[in-house]
Amino acid sequence: MTLDAETAPPAVSAIFEQRTAPLLALADQARDLAAAAHAVAARFRSGGKLIVFGNGGASTDAQHIAVEFVHPVIVGKRALPAVSLTSDIATVTGIAERHGLAEVFAHQLNLLADPGDIALGISPDGDCANVLRGLIHARGHGLLTLALLGGDGGAVAARGAAEHVLLARSSDPRVIKEVHVTAYHILWELVHLFLEHPGALNPGRVTR
Amino acid sequence: MTATDLVALYPFLYASDGELDVLLDAAVRSTVAKTAEITELRAELARRQGARLELCARQLAERFAAGGRLLVFGNGGSSTDAQELATLFLHPDGEHPALPAFALSNDIAVMTALSNDVGFDVAFSRQIAAFGRSADIAVGISTSGNSANLLLAFEEAARRGLMTVGIAGYDGGRMAQLAELEHLFVVPSASVHRVQEAQTTLYHALWELTVAAFAGRHPVPEPFDPRGSD
Repeated sequence: MTLDAETAPPAVSAIFEQRTAPLLALADQARDLAAAAHAVAARFRSGGKLIVFGNGGASTDAQHIAVEFVHPVIVGKRALPAVSLTSDIATVTGIAERHGLAEVFAHQLNLLADPGDIALGISPDGDCANVLRGLIHARGHGLLTLALLGGDGGAVAARGAAEHVLLARSSDPRVIKEVHVTAYHILWELVHLFLEHPGALNPGRVTR
Repeated sequence: MTATDLVALYPFLYASDGELDVLLDAAVRSTVAKTAEITELRAELARRQGARLELCARQLAERFAAGGRLLVFGNGGSSTDAQELATLFLHPDGEHPALPAFALSNDIAVMTALSNDVGFDVAFSRQIAAFGRSADIAVGISTSGNSANLLLAFEEAARRGLMTVGIAGYDGGRMAQLAELEHLFVVPSASVHRVQEAQTTLYHALWELTVAAFAGRHPVPEPFDPRGSD
């Protein structure tokens, strides 16, 4: 067997090709992604901060998004305030032990969020109880709410818990994560695009 | 990204004073272009490195079967990839076997202690020295391939007989010059975002192929029962 072959083994091809259709489905949501980025940029411009949360693998996305905004990889882009709600493991385990895992994000949002902030919840099946609770709490307190979901969007989509929803159309949690990574990389880039054109963020400018 | 790049990406903005509709249209086109770009990059990666990925997965399965554990590390965004890969092995969904793995950036006390007392360059290599056994696997993830703490960690891992796997971007950077690395997967893109996206697919595929190879050799163990009698 040669390791320099120019064709992928069938098992590898099968895995990689599963990513193609869900990525195209993300492209179909390009308008929604742009509208979400515009709304996020307007909040940042008014002094809001981004608060991100998810469970398991999605908690690593929450941390990735936070570092993406706080410490941009592209030189010259401004640092923007963003935090993930799984970074403080003392608080997460403390809340989970006393009040249950469903409360870990809502409790932190209650104390750390301002009405002008942005809440971004990530749930690969849309059914994470704590992400749902967090988004409902955030929306009720005036935060801009976004959700990165997968599958059919689950309870988060069904209950309209977030104003902006992006859906990774796959049932494989790993494919869903990969679509989410591309989505939030583009979101980050578009937020900066809008921030660099403040005329587009003037009051009264709303995206359809 | 430079201003010149921005003009190239969004030429209409600079011609028409940034009207919102123009911006939104530019954003939509940019999103469509990026999804096409990552799809092409993944196909290229599968062609170029698919055979190595299969071989690496078989060797990982053999290591796990021999009692090895996976130690994974990276900086910044790559540290979140390290955590994702660790939790994927340790707590997979469905019927997949759970295998021992941990990320070396998890313990902030250890990270800050090593960085403050010795230096950030040894943040991972000192942990490899403390935890590493010869049956283990060391996986380092970097977009540039140049992170000093990864290079030192690979050297330490190789000295101790661990299997070494590098995941890098661009041209592989200094990781491509490292003789100690048994496997190096390079995502050939100049965009740090596309590199990370393709790397995510790469290590997801590595996990999927590894657990398949492992399950082929071993019956899937009984799921862990937290209410077990002992």
